Amino acid sequence: MSPRLRLFIFLAAALALVPSIVHIATHMPEFGAHPLPYGEAINHSAVRQRHVTNMVTAVNFDYRGFDTLGEEFMLLTAVTGTVVLLRGGRGEDRGARPGIVPGREIMPRSEAVVLLGRLLGPLVLLFGIYVVIHAQLTPGGGFQGGVIIASGTLMFYLSEGYRGWRDLVRSVALAAAEGGGCLIFALAGLGPMLGGAQFLQNVLPLGRTRALISGGLILIENAGVAFAVAGGFTLLFLEFLEETRAIKAPGKDPGK
Amino acid sequence: MTLLLALAFVFAALAGTGVVLTRNPRRQVLALAINGLALALLFMVLQAPDVAYSELAVGTAAVPLMFFAALASLRMDHGGK
Repeated sequence: MSPRLRLFIFLAAALALVPSIVHIATHMPEFGAHPLPYGEAINHSAVRQRHVTNMVTAVNFDYRGFDTLGEEFMLLTAVTGTVVLLRGGRGEDRGARPGIVPGREIMPRSEAVVLLGRLLGPLVLLFGIYVVIHAQLTPGGGFQGGVIIASGTLMFYLSEGYRGWRDLVRSVALAAAEGGGCLIFALAGLGPMLGGAQFLQNVLPLGRTRALISGGLILIENAGVAFAVAGGFTLLFLEFLEETRAIKAPGKDPGK
Repeated sequence: MTLLLALAFVFAALAGTGVVLTRNPRRQVLALAINGLALALLFMVLQAPDVAYSELAVGTAAVPLMFFAALASLRMDHGGK
């Protein structure tokens, strides 16, 4: 298809669509208007019904918990697919030495980076755990805290190097965390059915609003999501970073 | 539409344009990271902190790292057998 034909087709489509776009753009509600009632309904009743103060967590794990179950399994499938593709294509023959890029020397790690990584790594991990635990109280939750925890382990990659990082994150533990998190979420959904309630119905005691233990089943689902996301993202980083390693020389390189 | 909101919108637009106009892949990854930061700030100013957390962690830390690792392993000589 020649560029001129492409340009002609684009102009024809633009001619047909521009009047509609202009009409929609001038008739939109003003900035900040929220005419749909769902947000107001959640703000009005979620604190009373579920004893939580973070409405996003209440919607994610309680009112629309079934969608989050689908999201978690989607994340599990995506990470598993990536692991199969990368590890299957690469094999298990990589050591801990970085591969050589022609024309660039491998620089030693600067001491400033090592210091910053060692200072910030535990802080970021602690912050991630805080975000996970306070899911129903403050903004954040399982997914956000899980990604922050995964980024926190990257600080250890920066400061300790690949070998030290692989000593910290074991791929078996990561896979167990990822699958176990999804299992926790699914069991949290099936558990209420044992007592006659519906799937994912919030049957646990709701606790006092603004206490750390509040929200009932939301806490268990949140923990499951946190494990799954932290394990999944760290496994993703592991597979990608292992791509950059050199093949283990037989007998010489002690490996990881 | 306050001044802070307008500035956040302009910053997001500039960051997106910067991503498009950067041609070198390694620099484009850094432009993507700045774009993630701009979007996270925009979401925070629009009073959506949960989304801002996710966008910051994913768009500034996770995705650029994966891009860098992929770009590095493309040009790498892994030291074959």
